[in-house]
Amino acid sequence: MSDAPTTAARLARNPHVGFVVFGALLMLLPVLASSGLLMTSTLMTLGFTLIYAIVAMGLNLLLGYSGLISLGTAGFMGLGAYLAAYVQDDLGLGFWVAVLAALVIPTVIGVLVGVVSLRVRSIYLAIATLTISEILLKTFEQAEWFTHGTAGKQSRYPVLFGVQADRAVVFLIIVVALVLVMMLTHNIVHGQLGRALHAMRASEVAAQAMGVNVLKYKLFAFAVATMYAGLAGALYLFFLKSSYPSTWNLFLSLNVVAMVVVGGLRSIYGTVVGAFVIFAVPELVLKRLPVIGDVSGLPYIFSGVLIIVAIMFFPQGLRGLWDIGRGLLARRRRPAEPVETVRDEVGVR
Amino acid sequence: MSDVLRVEGLSISFGGLKALDDLSFSVADTEVFGLIGPNGAGKTTVFNCITQFYRPDAGAVWFAPGAERLDRAGHHGSDAIDLVGEPVHRVIRYGLVRTFQNVEIIPELSVLDNVLIGGHVDFKASMLSQMLRLPGARKEEAQYREKAREALSFLSIDHLADQIAGGQPYGVRKRLEMARTLMAEPRLIILDEPAAGLNESETEQLADTIRQIRDRFGCSVLLVEHDMGLVMNVCDRICAISFGKFLALGTPEEIQRDVRVHEAYLGERDDD
Repeated sequence: MSDAPTTAARLARNPHVGFVVFGALLMLLPVLASSGLLMTSTLMTLGFTLIYAIVAMGLNLLLGYSGLISLGTAGFMGLGAYLAAYVQDDLGLGFWVAVLAALVIPTVIGVLVGVVSLRVRSIYLAIATLTISEILLKTFEQAEWFTHGTAGKQSRYPVLFGVQADRAVVFLIIVVALVLVMMLTHNIVHGQLGRALHAMRASEVAAQAMGVNVLKYKLFAFAVATMYAGLAGALYLFFLKSSYPSTWNLFLSLNVVAMVVVGGLRSIYGTVVGAFVIFAVPELVLKRLPVIGDVSGLPYIFSGVLIIVAIMFFPQGLRGLWDIGRGLLARRRRPAEPVETVRDEVGVR
Repeated sequence: MSDVLRVEGLSISFGGLKALDDLSFSVADTEVFGLIGPNGAGKTTVFNCITQFYRPDAGAVWFAPGAERLDRAGHHGSDAIDLVGEPVHRVIRYGLVRTFQNVEIIPELSVLDNVLIGGHVDFKASMLSQMLRLPGARKEEAQYREKAREALSFLSIDHLADQIAGGQPYGVRKRLEMARTLMAEPRLIILDEPAAGLNESETEQLADTIRQIRDRFGCSVLLVEHDMGLVMNVCDRICAISFGKFLALGTPEEIQRDVRVHEAYLGERDDD
């Protein structure tokens, strides 16, 4: 009868509303920090977690949806960081131009790299992207006019609409960026674009027979992933106010792979949770444990073990565990119904 | 009756092996055409040469998709096009769709989404407008969703539309693949061993389905099949090949009587 409940129900079902609510909750974190309930270091860690979630979202588009591997994530993320610093501080063009540069230039380079490297598959693609990343890393070390070399590029918090931002404001920018990335990713994967990526992963041969121009969609996925990496790099720079070449190494790329695999292939929230488990848990929990906390390289051991465990026992990652848990709950609540529906399907066939 | 597909002098070799040797045949409008031959005769190779997964060494694959489709593809004024050299992913644009011997579906997606892949080339909305979910893109998506549901209900599996495709039994997956071909508004459907793995009653249903599709969509069907019962039941004409060479062409009765076919193919059964 009345429109109100249906509108409310439709809103509640709309995933975009979910993303916004998720973002709104994250925006409470700086408030908690300023009221002293959350340590500043914890807020920093959570901010980096969200930045890594953005990069991981791009890799999920590649690895999860398109079945493509990239070990070049760190290089493109670093490129975004240095570009943002260069445009904001050296050229003095301000925040928005810096972000635009960090979005566009890595994407263009990513597409050029893709045109060459996407003709090879699986392990060869991994090697090709790793090579690109290492070339970028060497460039960061050598091109002192651009990066200040190994001494590190120092930057500062951006100025937005004439107001000097601080740590909390940059955190809010990160949240906004993450929510936009989640929405964009959701749109990409739920529609013709996403179906084309799925088809490509399932079988390139069948995808082509269905009219999917495989190279075009590989390039598309690669371009979006590099764009996310460039964005995340710029946010990283604005949040930390510095960048060192050693940050953008293979370990970062592998950690991003771990975030996707552990969080769950083809899951948007799973990617965020994956970033939290792989990056924040070692920082916030493991390093504070007695004895174990002192082991050097602990985060690497942690993510390595998690990758193995996930691949061997939980190929769907944490998202899969979540689904199983939800299924168990539903069965406990209504024990007869699921069995009934299963029987139905078989019967109809 | 005009021909929708005309294969002329098709030859291809892999290393020293001549897989196809000067093979010619044609499929008429609204005809169900069977391609038979013993194992290794080159049936699947013929398919792959027609759909451009393989590029034949010699020969032509003339396809007449209708003036409107040709016009849209930029071939004005001609009534047929040689598919040889066309990129694989463009072939479906002419209304030539295929299924696969091993049923190629996307297990993680719903049945409906799998069918929608068949309409991939019809989507006009740009990548950007899809990424931003602009009204045009959303309207188009809804429109094709409706069409996909119709295709599913034509194959009587519309009640499974929202189920995950990977969990469906084999028979449903086969139907799903057929529904997917319908999305392309086909002129010619190529079915690669559609009866493989089906039981007897399912095979009988399949024969009905093939005829229904032909009648409803006015398209032709090219069929590679080992199940002789199905082939003889459903095909208007049959072409038999052996070792990549043309053997015989005719109605099911003619093929059943043909001595060469018996020697090459049906004769084998007597030895068992």
